[in-house]
Amino acid sequence: MSILETSFEHRFSADASSLTDLLTRAVVEVHTARGGGAGIIWGGGLIVTNAHCVPRGATLRVDSGGRMHDADVIAYSGDHDLALLHAPGVSGPLLELRDARSLRPGEIVFAHGHPLGMSHALAMGAIHGVANDPRTGELRFVVADVRLAPGNSGGALVDAHGRLVGINSMVVGGLGVAIPAIVAQGFVTRATSLRAA
Amino acid sequence: MSPVDQSSSNALAELSSKLSDAVERAASYIVAIHARRRIPSSGVVWRDGIIVSASHTVRRDGTVRVTRPDGSDVEATVVGRDAATDLVVLSSDGLAVAPAPRAEPRASAVGSLVLAVGRPGRSVSASFGIVSAIAEGWRSETGKRIDGLLRLDLAVYDGFSGGPLVAPSGAVVGINNSAFARGTAAALSAPTVDSVIDELLSRGHIRRPFIGVGVHPVALGPVARRYGLPHDVALIVVSLAEGEPADTAGIQLGDLLVGIAGRPLARPSDLLDALSTVADGDSVDVTVLRGGTQQTIRVTPRDRGGQAE
Repeated sequence: MSILETSFEHRFSADASSLTDLLTRAVVEVHTARGGGAGIIWGGGLIVTNAHCVPRGATLRVDSGGRMHDADVIAYSGDHDLALLHAPGVSGPLLELRDARSLRPGEIVFAHGHPLGMSHALAMGAIHGVANDPRTGELRFVVADVRLAPGNSGGALVDAHGRLVGINSMVVGGLGVAIPAIVAQGFVTRATSLRAA
Repeated sequence: MSPVDQSSSNALAELSSKLSDAVERAASYIVAIHARRRIPSSGVVWRDGIIVSASHTVRRDGTVRVTRPDGSDVEATVVGRDAATDLVVLSSDGLAVAPAPRAEPRASAVGSLVLAVGRPGRSVSASFGIVSAIAEGWRSETGKRIDGLLRLDLAVYDGFSGGPLVAPSGAVVGINNSAFARGTAAALSAPTVDSVIDELLSRGHIRRPFIGVGVHPVALGPVARRYGLPHDVALIVVSLAEGEPADTAGIQLGDLLVGIAGRPLARPSDLLDALSTVADGDSVDVTVLRGGTQQTIRVTPRDRGGQAE
């Protein structure tokens, strides 16, 4: 290995491409007749995506690693624009979750999704801040200076270690807005315990 | 099992923590200025007891409330504004916040990684990108020439204007302002900010020497050769303000201004540039072509910087 290949920018590029490899296996494409988006593998055949990616009554197909799977919506959270899908047979690496309250403005983050139909695209940006619910004071959104487009919805916002900090959901004033991963985890826990009861 | 190295030797994490450290360092010199509705504006502690911000975001004059990085409030007074660079300077005796360190000049080269940091409230916000161009000789609406306007490839957000552009070291590169180029991201470089502040602190306004002529470029054609002029364009006087320096010096409507202080005049901006170098109370020689004769008229510009545009 030459000295050039160990320079910072080479290590940076190598780390970014191994991050893409991880995310390409951990993030699926969600297809419906009326569009779709991205989804994050949550284990046990469960996938988390945005509610607006999977309209009620739509027929769902999930593309994981190039293989198509049938999927059903098993829960919606209108409050947080989240939906939980069940697609038996879909598996992949589970992203470690990171509490967005520990994020510092300026930290580098990556958005992974399928913007404008471009499968498994990676975008780099920085944490802008986190927003709390003005009524309850609870964590509500992760705001990042990262370029998102239709097709990024339901995809992953991860930190430099590949830990999931949020589910990319919308663009406000040019900034990317994500639902915090720990909020999504709370939603999945509630939805699956209801199902078990 | 994750293929991404979880240790801190990961290059992505290395850059990430460098940048968030830079934001934390910058936060120590960014204040929130409460002088408009909706959200406060961002300001930078530029020197001891001196805060700089974007003039259009500070809507009131006199005494305003400023929130320091530790969350406590202090009073500050608006010292001066410059319409051309949209800078406002405030002073506060009790500020007690260490001024922003200056980044080395290399940090503003095109392609450099930079962060825009603001304090639109209690906490700071950041966006990240590169310096995409440096505009030299950019001219503001008021005709003032500005060197070192940095065009940025990064997101503009609420509270962006008046905040610092920050190098990965955490030092300040310039003052952000989205008002220069139709809402796109730009910043005034630190040396430009320094020169404006020096003048604002010593006078309360930026000096703008004025002689009271309206001019338009005209082609001279063969006339240029006949008088041995170095170029074939001059400025024709199309309006003259009564009682102002050009009028009292004897310049007339229709005069062709061909040179100033020995330098040729081809564009109206040449006249503005030449006047801006004339010191207070000094006069300048204007070369005039009138009725077939070339003559020199000595004019003493007047400072009009303190007046509303």
